[in-house]
Amino acid sequence: MTSILIILLGTTMLYVSSVSRIEAYVKTLAAQGFLLFLLVMVGVKEMSGLNIAFLVFETLIVKAIVIPYFLLKVIRKNETPREIEPYISQFYALLVATAIFVFGFVAAFWAARTGSDIKPLYFGISIAMMMLSLFLIVNRKRIITHILCYMMLENGIFLLSLSVANELPMLVNIGVLLDLFVAIYLFAIFFNKINEIYDGSHVDVLTELKD
Amino acid sequence: MITLVFILPLAFGLISFVLKRKFVNRAALLGSAAIFVAVTLLVWLRIEWTWLPNWLLVFFRFDSIGLFFFAVMAIVFAGVSFYSLSYFREHNLTARQESVYILEMLAFVVAMAGVILATNLALLWVFVEATTLTSALLIYFEKKKSSLEATWKYIYICSVGIALAFVGITTLSIGSESIGSLFFNDLYLHASEINPVWLKLSFAFLFVGLGTKVGVAPIHAWLPDAHSEAPSPVSALLSGTLLNSAFLGILRVEEILVRADQQTFSNIILLLTGFLSLLVSAVYMLRVKNYKRMLAYSSVENMGIMFIGVGLGQPGLFAAMLQTMAHSFSKTSLFLTSGNILHRYGTKKIEDVRGLLKRDPVTGWIWIVSFLSIIGIPPFPIFISKFFIIRAFWTNGEGWLALLFFLFIVVVTFGMGNAVFRMAFVDSDTESTGSVKLALSAYLPQIVLLAVLVVVGINMPNLINEMLSNAAAFISSGPAAAVKVAGK
Repeated sequence: MTSILIILLGTTMLYVSSVSRIEAYVKTLAAQGFLLFLLVMVGVKEMSGLNIAFLVFETLIVKAIVIPYFLLKVIRKNETPREIEPYISQFYALLVATAIFVFGFVAAFWAARTGSDIKPLYFGISIAMMMLSLFLIVNRKRIITHILCYMMLENGIFLLSLSVANELPMLVNIGVLLDLFVAIYLFAIFFNKINEIYDGSHVDVLTELKD
Repeated sequence: MITLVFILPLAFGLISFVLKRKFVNRAALLGSAAIFVAVTLLVWLRIEWTWLPNWLLVFFRFDSIGLFFFAVMAIVFAGVSFYSLSYFREHNLTARQESVYILEMLAFVVAMAGVILATNLALLWVFVEATTLTSALLIYFEKKKSSLEATWKYIYICSVGIALAFVGITTLSIGSESIGSLFFNDLYLHASEINPVWLKLSFAFLFVGLGTKVGVAPIHAWLPDAHSEAPSPVSALLSGTLLNSAFLGILRVEEILVRADQQTFSNIILLLTGFLSLLVSAVYMLRVKNYKRMLAYSSVENMGIMFIGVGLGQPGLFAAMLQTMAHSFSKTSLFLTSGNILHRYGTKKIEDVRGLLKRDPVTGWIWIVSFLSIIGIPPFPIFISKFFIIRAFWTNGEGWLALLFFLFIVVVTFGMGNAVFRMAFVDSDTESTGSVKLALSAYLPQIVLLAVLVVVGINMPNLINEMLSNAAAFISSGPAAAVKVAGK
């Protein structure tokens, strides 16, 4: 069951590297949040009560509903054209994505040999998710896609931290979530501002400061 | 003590935000600065009391190195908050704008205090990210087009960097599963049990994440933009305290590697990025056209020097600590003075600022003296720290690196001196448009900071020497020495 969920998470990343509509990104983000929620539910036996409640809140409420809904509102308000604009075409992007997945698995099998008790599938997919998010950030021109891909990066990191048996203290967990939330909120504020002040919301407009 | 640091400034900020009275604003800002300085003194004199419940107390603690960084932050913050009074006046801010500025600044300072005092690696991460979020609004305070660009780059680059640092924390927990805790003390005591491969991996990630905040090359892209576009007191606070607190994070992680006997790995990374920072700042210093950006590149250079000091191991540590303090004070003085220049001339271009000494002699002289301090002309302490670092190269038998180090510093000094002296001494073609005196608060913080540096440079008081040595002793010389200290 866990394996299927993790593979589905990996598939969502392949999906976003091949689609071109921004709203598909937001829906994928919501789907990822929901998959992470299911993943937490599957591994529920190994955790303490408070931690479970917190993780459910984080994945189901924040990652699957609040943040995607909030970003969708921001997108609709700014009437961003629906197409995302990549620097290199979808086909090659998909090739790169595949290569990243291969790398992720190689890294996972290498890591498994170091003698640590890690789960190669967790590790491989989360590494691939993080690297792919970084690749998508570099490959997209629109600022809104940068925000969406940042969230995917966070999801990848969350997946990796799920594979670790150690629980963080609750104070730290709350802090991490609060930071994420405020970060997305500020991203949206500044995204709105950039849209207002500059004519577009491409990263290309942000080239005034340089030496 | 710790309660004071966290709760009172935030409460003051909220009160001033709600009341929106000029008098309350000033009282809140200066009061918070006074609290920070007072707490430093009390902890220094080993007077302890606390109102925090025990379960919260384990997360925050003053240790030798934390006290040192806290003291530097408190002094810089006091200077900046005093200077802010003149900033408010010269920019004719309304009481409402002032209160927003104060709330944001106090939240930022409290977040930095959290970074310095945190006893848990993950909690440190939370506060480092919080510093990004709270300072972003400050950088955008003047609401110009260019400051929007700078803010976006800052918040985005730093957030992605910090996200990668979290990967480092996760990999560290994978490697230290037998320890089962991310409290620094547990990690230090059981450092030898951590799987070395995972430890190195996690250092690499944490280094990238925290290094982004430190602004060390090649991950310094946000730094010149943010420093040049923020209001000058905020630039001073960014350069004088934010970079330090992230640097402290790296030091705390470095100590884990030292105790696990893996410091060769981390020292190579520190030296490499240190030299790269020197190279980058040397190259840009020769072509930079904006004096606030010039100061920002000088920060990259100085953070590089600190990294080199730590990367040299035991012989360079004292120098790194001295450099931290001296850089913070001199750079604060420079950035605050750049605020005066910006106000007088209304431009950040080096070539448009001429005849500074004639138009505003006090600002001009502070500008020159701060410059002499930052490049390390005796009697300023940066001379001592750079000298110690060069000596440490020889102690380690890497004399040729000292030559390289010296070369980069000469280039930086030349580039920066060229700009500073042109601004100060070359007369302007246009007639000066009368010299209005700025308020005392526009000069006093810089003069005090520079005076402290002169005292430290000529004859270091024993108390300060002790504080620096204690901070430097935080990084132990190796696993064996660490065990000895723990057993004592």
